[in-house]
Amino acid sequence: MSSTLLQVGVVIPALTALRLGAHLAGASELLLHDQQLTTPLTSYSQLQEGLYLFNHGIDPYNGGTVRHSPLLLALFSSILPSSRDVAATLWALCDAIAAWALVQTWRARQNVSSSSRDGLVAAMYLLNPYIFLPTLALSTSSLENALLLLAVMFASQKKAAASLLSLAFLSHLSPNALLLLPPLVLILLTNPHSHLASPQKISFNAKKVAPLAAEFLLYTGVLTAASTLVAGSWRWIPQTWGTWFTLPDLTPNVGLWWYFFTEMFDHFRSFFLVVFSIHLLIYVAPLCIKFQHDPLYALFLLTGIIGAFKSYPTLADPGLFLSMTSIFPETFPYLRFPIVTSLLHLHSALLLPLFHHLWLTQGTGNANFYYASTLVFACSNGAAILDALWAGMRIAIGKDVDGYAVDQE
Amino acid sequence: MDEGPPPAGRSWKNTLQKLRGRFKPEKNAAEVRVRRRRAMIQKLHQRLPFLKVLLFLVGYLWMVAIPYPDLGRTTYIDENALQPAQVSTYWDWADVHNADRYLDDLERLGDRNASSAELSEFVKTEFQKSGLPAATQKYTFSVGSTNVTGVNAYAVSSSPRASGNEAIVISASWIRRHEGGPTELNLRGVSAILALAKYLKGHSMWAKDLVFVVSDGYLDGMQAWLGSYHGSKQNNLQAEELLYASGVIWNALSIDYACHSFSHLGVFHEGLNGRLPNQDLINSFERISRFTGGVPVVLYDHAKNVVRHVGYQGPGRPSGIHGLFHPYRIDAFTIYAVCAQGPHGFHALGRVVESTLRTMNNLLERLHASFFFYILTDATYFNKIGSYLPSAILVSVGMMFHGLDIWVMSGWRLEEQPSEKVSSSSQERGWVSRQRPVLHALTIMMATHILGALVFGSLSLDNWQTLAPILFAVVAVVPLAALLLRSRHHSETAPVSTVLKALNLCFASTIISVISVLNFSLALLLAIALGIPLAISTPSSRLVQYPAYILLAAGWLLFLPEQTQSALWNWEVLSVWFAPVAAVVTLLPM
Repeated sequence: MSSTLLQVGVVIPALTALRLGAHLAGASELLLHDQQLTTPLTSYSQLQEGLYLFNHGIDPYNGGTVRHSPLLLALFSSILPSSRDVAATLWALCDAIAAWALVQTWRARQNVSSSSRDGLVAAMYLLNPYIFLPTLALSTSSLENALLLLAVMFASQKKAAASLLSLAFLSHLSPNALLLLPPLVLILLTNPHSHLASPQKISFNAKKVAPLAAEFLLYTGVLTAASTLVAGSWRWIPQTWGTWFTLPDLTPNVGLWWYFFTEMFDHFRSFFLVVFSIHLLIYVAPLCIKFQHDPLYALFLLTGIIGAFKSYPTLADPGLFLSMTSIFPETFPYLRFPIVTSLLHLHSALLLPLFHHLWLTQGTGNANFYYASTLVFACSNGAAILDALWAGMRIAIGKDVDGYAVDQE
Repeated sequence: MDEGPPPAGRSWKNTLQKLRGRFKPEKNAAEVRVRRRRAMIQKLHQRLPFLKVLLFLVGYLWMVAIPYPDLGRTTYIDENALQPAQVSTYWDWADVHNADRYLDDLERLGDRNASSAELSEFVKTEFQKSGLPAATQKYTFSVGSTNVTGVNAYAVSSSPRASGNEAIVISASWIRRHEGGPTELNLRGVSAILALAKYLKGHSMWAKDLVFVVSDGYLDGMQAWLGSYHGSKQNNLQAEELLYASGVIWNALSIDYACHSFSHLGVFHEGLNGRLPNQDLINSFERISRFTGGVPVVLYDHAKNVVRHVGYQGPGRPSGIHGLFHPYRIDAFTIYAVCAQGPHGFHALGRVVESTLRTMNNLLERLHASFFFYILTDATYFNKIGSYLPSAILVSVGMMFHGLDIWVMSGWRLEEQPSEKVSSSSQERGWVSRQRPVLHALTIMMATHILGALVFGSLSLDNWQTLAPILFAVVAVVPLAALLLRSRHHSETAPVSTVLKALNLCFASTIISVISVLNFSLALLLAIALGIPLAISTPSSRLVQYPAYILLAAGWLLFLPEQTQSALWNWEVLSVWFAPVAAVVTLLPM
């Protein structure tokens, strides 16, 4: 019975229907403005506002409220109707596609056409509350997750064009995703199979890198040009991409940036903006070199790092990392402190809404409460990343042998 | 041996060498590190049982020590703008006479059992006679199959000095506060409101609107009025729109005065879902009552303060109508006249309320300076969060350690290994790691929570009396069924019960420590109810133990009918989340 229940064909439709049911029960209304699930850059209501301005011939990028890509505005104002029910359906479908892409990636990694774990992988994505709730809140981060998983899926299936196009779309919506280009190209040039247990020096045809990078640049250029055509000027760039790096909107979210820059004196602001933005860059090369034998794992770790440290994260970003662990079951026995990580996540998942409530609803707490809970959340994300990093390297040494211990130099 | 002490130069070289040896050991550094780490872990593990007992013990003892005054300190005023008891009051015997006349009229109405409509009409007319815009508001709560209806009366006195963006509410409910006992009319409270309305309108110092509310019933009237005022929707409530509105309500006080005269003024402050008002409000009132009115202040009406506090805050029930203001972020409390033969009456009460309102009127921003997290052990003594929070947290940390200990142990088993040496004790025992059935345990936990949700979902005010025994039986039997379904135990995997216990302890510990910030009393009750029982539970099927746990998990259905009913009423009418949380979260048998 459990095997039929856990088939992809059952899991994905059932859990997609569950999302629609929750939407019809009024969950979207309740969660739409939740600051843990949406940010100014992913909020559905701000998208609606942008659409209104756009449809009435007013430049949406003039005011500083709309920070969504012009392509999204064009998409929703022309092809897709912008009613909330349709949006909920669309968002649920996006999640279904993302789960399917994750399953496909898992299959490609195992080099099989189907496996008994498929349903579990899909369920791990669709039942993850960090992913479930932003979808109900109609946060565009669900769309970004779907794009990322599609890019990874196409890369694992060696469909370079589709993969690069997905990543170009994603980095158009959220420029942080540019960091994922190196591991993605490495997957395209080698293979997505698990080599964690037997690390070796990577060998690929270096001449192929340039064409792939050029292709990516071409897609990005086309998307940029299209956006500029839609928006009618270049003004959209500082309002969308620029927001990620200049942090004009200090609405609280689950990330680490907002409180820091609320407290910051103005003359330090630009310096620390540069530090915070550059900081993300330093992880790319070391991870790609260390996990050159398994670039998919490097990409997975980078996803976690971006989710923990990006400027406007929602719960969906760390959630994606947590759900992606399901395609690396070989590392599970080597996790260092899984129970601590899960308990940390349990604590932060309860503390975040609680302290948000104490501060903004009940009025007995203050901003420091919520900031403290985002710190706990950052710790749990950090613990998850460290744990995965440890397991990914530890697996190469093999099982514990009595009388020996593995130590990190 | 007769060389004497070594020269000083040698000695410091030795020390240096020792130090160097410590930081740069001759042996393999990694090995030293591993050994040191292992020794540390072993030491910790050896002392863990002692540490756990210590944590539990200190935690529970700390709970007992909370009322002890040396743990707290005296109260003080934090917000400078308040300036309590610094004004001259003008409330005089003529106003007391007014209050007495209103009281006569009200007593007459009360004697002939006047209906809600008549009473509220009377109040509205009297407000209007004082020159205030006043109106009534009808409301109906449908609770189960019965309807609770009533009529509120209210008046708005707009501020002569400001635009009326902020307001203070002065209220009284028709029925005075009671805890399940016989109800009593709050006639003097209402007449005080009427007299105050007439009196306060004549002064020009108000920078905030004054809203006078006489709410029907005990809690229901104010719930309906506040809901309409703030435009919040409640499915089982039908209430008229309010005719007159004012600004944002910052503070509110309600008057509960039923007897002929009083000796002390009591303070009730617990709000819905365990929220407390800013302590400055209570402290100001205490100062004002003592220095302006000459009336000593007590907490509640004397007696077992901390126990009563936990009794109100833990289940999240309000200790008076002031509690209903709290969900709207309004700091409010009830002034309770403690019945006595004397010496105080309307004269003292009027002066105290006038001065308290002047203090609230002084505020330039919401109350924020003083404490929101505190336990009043007396009207002038309180515990800061740091002196009471650790009690529950220590117990929760103890539970967490215990859970993690069990978790670690469940991953290993002692196995007898055939030894190569053929000696007398040919069997050597070694630790072999084994798998933990985490998914099974999680499924069982999910199932119990769903069971709890179902039990709660099926209960309502109408049917709970008939359903309670049935549900109790179901809850008692379902875990037994789970026992029958239990798969055969393999030695390669840890028993489900052990893993379940470990995870349960960790989860309960998390819940307790997280809730302690929101509602400390609830965390305290959970720590008492779950701490020891979960820690000592065993998977054995001993006959005594099982019923004990079932009683703990679901006994409230059978043996606490009053509490069950009031919790259900609070949930359905006031949206207090104690009942669902208790049912859903804590129903974790074994």
